[in-house]
Amino acid sequence: MNLIGVDVGGTFTDLVLAETASGRAVIHKVSSTPADPSLGVTRGVVELCGKAGLAPGAVDQVLHGTTIATNAVLEHRGALTGMITTRGYRDVLHIGRHQRPEHYSIQQQIPWQARPLVRRRHRHVVTERLVPPRGEVLVPLDEDEVRAAARELRAAGVEAIAICFLFSYLNPAHELRARDIVREEYPEAFVTTSAEVAPQFREFERFTTAAMNAFVGPKVRDYVSRLAARLREAGVGGDLQVMGSTGGVASVAMVAEQPVLTMLSGPAAGVLGGAWAGRLSGRDDLITFDIGGTSADIAIVSRGRFGEASARDTWIAGFPLLVPMIDIHTIGAGGGSIARQDAGGAFRVGPQSAGAQPGPAGYGRGGTEATVTDANIVLGRLDPENFLGGGMTLDAAAARDAVGRFAQRMGLGLEAAALGILTVVNANMANAIRSRTVQKGIDPRDYALVAFGGAGPLHGAEVARLLEGRAVLVPPHPGITSAMGLLTTDLSVDAVRTCFQLSDAMDLPRIAADFTAMEAQIAARFAADGLPAAAARFSRAADLRYAGQGYELRVAWPAEEADAAALLARFHAQHKAEYGHAFPERVVEIVNLRVTGAIPRPHLGAPPPRVGGSLTEALVRRGPVVFGSAEAPEVHDTPYLRRELLPVGAAIPGPAIVLQTDSTTVVPPGCRLTAEAGGNLLIEL
Amino acid sequence: MRDTTPDAVNPVTVSVLQGALETIAVEVGYKLMRMAYSSIIRESEDFGAALTDETGQGLAESAQSTPLQSGPIPGYVKAVLATLAARGEPVRPGDVIMHNDPYGGASHGPDVAFLVPVFHVDQAGEHLVGFSVTTAHHLDIGALTPGSCGIVDAIDAYAEGLRFRAIKVHDRGVRNEAVWQMLRDNLRAPELVVGDMEAQVAASRIGAERMAALVAQHGLAGFRATCAAMLDQAERLMRRAIAALPEGSWRAETRIDGYLDDPARRDLPIVATVTKVGDGLVVDLEGTAPQIPDRPINMPFHGTVDVAVWLTVRSVLLDTAILGHVPVNEGLTRPIEIRAPRGCLANPTFPAPTIARFCPGNQLADTVMKALAQAVPGQVSAGIGNLKVIAFSGLREEGHWVHMEIFEGAYGGRPGQDGMDAVDTLYANTRNNPIEDIESHLPLRVTRYELREDEAGAGEWRGGLGSVREIRFLTDAGTSVEGEGHAHRPWGFLGGGAGATARLSLLGAAGGTAALPSKVPHRAVKAGDTFLCEGPAGGGYGDPFRRDPARVLEDVLDGLISPATARRDYGVAIAGEGIDEAATRALRTGR
Repeated sequence: MNLIGVDVGGTFTDLVLAETASGRAVIHKVSSTPADPSLGVTRGVVELCGKAGLAPGAVDQVLHGTTIATNAVLEHRGALTGMITTRGYRDVLHIGRHQRPEHYSIQQQIPWQARPLVRRRHRHVVTERLVPPRGEVLVPLDEDEVRAAARELRAAGVEAIAICFLFSYLNPAHELRARDIVREEYPEAFVTTSAEVAPQFREFERFTTAAMNAFVGPKVRDYVSRLAARLREAGVGGDLQVMGSTGGVASVAMVAEQPVLTMLSGPAAGVLGGAWAGRLSGRDDLITFDIGGTSADIAIVSRGRFGEASARDTWIAGFPLLVPMIDIHTIGAGGGSIARQDAGGAFRVGPQSAGAQPGPAGYGRGGTEATVTDANIVLGRLDPENFLGGGMTLDAAAARDAVGRFAQRMGLGLEAAALGILTVVNANMANAIRSRTVQKGIDPRDYALVAFGGAGPLHGAEVARLLEGRAVLVPPHPGITSAMGLLTTDLSVDAVRTCFQLSDAMDLPRIAADFTAMEAQIAARFAADGLPAAAARFSRAADLRYAGQGYELRVAWPAEEADAAALLARFHAQHKAEYGHAFPERVVEIVNLRVTGAIPRPHLGAPPPRVGGSLTEALVRRGPVVFGSAEAPEVHDTPYLRRELLPVGAAIPGPAIVLQTDSTTVVPPGCRLTAEAGGNLLIEL
Repeated sequence: MRDTTPDAVNPVTVSVLQGALETIAVEVGYKLMRMAYSSIIRESEDFGAALTDETGQGLAESAQSTPLQSGPIPGYVKAVLATLAARGEPVRPGDVIMHNDPYGGASHGPDVAFLVPVFHVDQAGEHLVGFSVTTAHHLDIGALTPGSCGIVDAIDAYAEGLRFRAIKVHDRGVRNEAVWQMLRDNLRAPELVVGDMEAQVAASRIGAERMAALVAQHGLAGFRATCAAMLDQAERLMRRAIAALPEGSWRAETRIDGYLDDPARRDLPIVATVTKVGDGLVVDLEGTAPQIPDRPINMPFHGTVDVAVWLTVRSVLLDTAILGHVPVNEGLTRPIEIRAPRGCLANPTFPAPTIARFCPGNQLADTVMKALAQAVPGQVSAGIGNLKVIAFSGLREEGHWVHMEIFEGAYGGRPGQDGMDAVDTLYANTRNNPIEDIESHLPLRVTRYELREDEAGAGEWRGGLGSVREIRFLTDAGTSVEGEGHAHRPWGFLGGGAGATARLSLLGAAGGTAALPSKVPHRAVKAGDTFLCEGPAGGGYGDPFRRDPARVLEDVLDGLISPATARRDYGVAIAGEGIDEAATRALRTGR
């Protein structure tokens, strides 16, 4: 099959074409077209086909990672959104959890108050009320009020409507009825209900998720249908599928209904790409480490499985989001992160970033502040003549000036300051990795760090050393790992139900019935999208906590287990691993049931084995590169090597700098570099 | 502190160590929150986590805990060290120490701390290097009535519940079973409370383990020197901010309700005079009302008063929304000297009771902001609306159910933006409980939770709106209330109007409404009775007649203020869904 992966970033759109039969992969990059990304995507796909000598009609599938939904939220440019909610609770979206984001600030803005997803004038209340434990109807739905609200919202020019009733996760009947009425009154509106998007308790978080789905809905719906149409017009064959935040892809129809599922589309593809690279080296315990200009994305892959974020730790632009996502930890540390001295004299790096404009001083576009990239230039780790394969020349003098000014303020030498910048930014990254490993009972020493993104391979080895790791992998094309990741996943749909059952009085038949119903619901979804539902594989899990606790842990619950004994044992063990303590004598509460349905699809294979190459051929030049610490800089005469000419399988002692078109890899002294036949660079520490 | 000479330690090392200490404190807080059982910790986040050195100097605190919990931790440690030294009892590896003495650093009795000492071993022997500490507000502490808030009629420190003064609940690694049994026998809802305490012990131990590893990595001398440099940096940060203030001394006064149904114990002044002395600040609370010897609204000097002052000074002078992340450690508080006459509300003498000091302390924080407003009018908000805590309790079979809910206040208007609506204010930053959680686990029904319309301090920048919450009892039960802000409106600033006071009513199941004061000792309620709780609104900032008429219109369209209010308070005439420009001009010039 011929698969195309397209990942749209702020500056570039990355594309990769894979022929699953031959294992051949062809990559391509075009400029993004932010005003309408579908233009860049379509052009890129057509160009890529030309480059690969493939007729566009022979493409079988286009898999797409998009930031449309994310950007709409970050820039607060979504649809004019309305809400219909239970009478008495008009301001749940505005009051939130009554907590301020910052403890020590008078002038802060609260995102949901300063930038509401739904303005108060568009939040209408209707008479109805459900109550626990099963969503019994306390007050019936007043349908006339729903009708009147829909008409008023229509008259107000609202484009999208979220229907959010209390306790709808226990009984969605009122929300569904209200949705039908709204559709009758206002068929053009994008309508969403809170229980469809996030059938879990905690009203502020669920309502916000639904409101966000509505807020981004029309934009995403229009975008995916426009893109599908453009690809068709351009003669591109096959269907379009979009990456979701859980690392599965979904149909255009599914994404058009629940765009909120794509919030982490791009980063999720990166994690998948990292996992794919790990497999090329036969490894499945991985830390994926994706560094760009302003931020670093970190995720953990254990035995090939991604960690999923707890629903209570999931935020976009300061808004909570109750949808499943890969657990990706993003910190404000990247190549553009700015070094500064605070008023107390402290040495800080980031989170402020020079971004792409003006960018680091060394980009020669007018930046004057010392950034991480400038530190790498000063130390000789980035070669000004061979940056991005020579596609861009760096201004080393400007970088030295910027770092020099900062060094003077800090009372340090030039090289000590540059090493200090890297030490601080690497320590921040290592702390972020510890928070997802050591703090959760995972020993990072047993994990290989997969370093990618433009800047990941510059920092990977030194960050791994801070974690006492032993191996770093650099994928074949570190700069387009996300696009590769798109080609390694299956179609998937998730379902969740809140259940609230206690381990000492469990209603197993009810749970079994719930699971069966959820699987049927997923199968129906696949069938509705014209997909082979019979091929779907289901995996079950439950969110558990000790009765009384407020946070759940997700534990797998295979269908073949007849009772909950093994489930509870796994929960106690996981609680001990994550929190350092278990309370096996206490009653456990099952809070949610979860099912993921997946339809396998063909994947990007391993690239053809590499052969040949020699150190002599690979050597570009030798030069001084600074390693060591800020207290004791050490200058090493270091070879700059061209990656594609490295000898396969031979161990090369560090220090070395490896050049390629989309990234630069640093191999510090004392490490060993091997270009593996499978395509990765392996750095052993 | 060395203010002119550079630090002896490389600044890179300081930055790396600070990040590592913060990572540990965050981990401890995160784990406590996730392991805890009662909603006051896991949902409201009324807990703290911090690391100190061996003398109790704060090194780092957890970012997600509430300031009133993490802030006092260094004070707890110092008092524990003094108490143990007086008893001749050493701190040893394997100890876990429980402490809640409000006359010994604790914020108040229900905020129980668990301290785990951190030791470093090298050739020279075993060294105490610090403490990993968590604090948390416990649902019950064995006071005269159920719950640990609304104990507004305790007549002395003994009536407030159990007092723990540096009690070793684990001694050299051996669990002191007798103490744990006493806890289980003397606290209501022991399953939850003791479960929370065990979660605290587990979380504190993790912090101690991590901190010991960090010390080992840096070496004892290196660790200590680097910590010293880190505190110096924070101190310099605060001193530079203070040095930038104009010279002067600024006095402010506000009042608390006290006990509105008792003429001798109501309308009590809180006074703060802030004086710049070089690059330091003196905050003098002279003029604050004398202590109430037999009612628990006195504020522990260490644990409540100091934290209230620090919080406000830090939030105004080192606002993190403007500066970005500011490391929180002992260095920040060194330049601030706090004085309060002994025997006043802000420096009570034992055994004056203190358990209900929460709202008075927040009023003190607001008073300090009112004083600072005169020095830096562009960095403050107008007066805040104060908070309220209500305890709900009852019997289920033979055990108690106890629930606490904090009722939000609001911020005053701010330069360039309106006040924050319906949030916790100043030194409190807890969370409400989801309605869907409350009703799933307790015999309560939340029948309304919305913004309180048309009651906000008018200003060029409007005060934040309060909330309205209605909570109905589904069974016969008990309740008690500790709150403030029923009698005195939050202050307006620079021509802004005063905010709105809070109100509390009990709507009887059988009809009839009783208006309640801001403090209600434990009382029985019937199934069907409903609390109607109307939160306060913040003061206005700047002349309301200078508010952009378009903003006034927006507020009218959103139903936040009425057209009549727009006309009266803002001089804006609303016509249909627009502004009557001519009428508005006439109103505004004719004032």
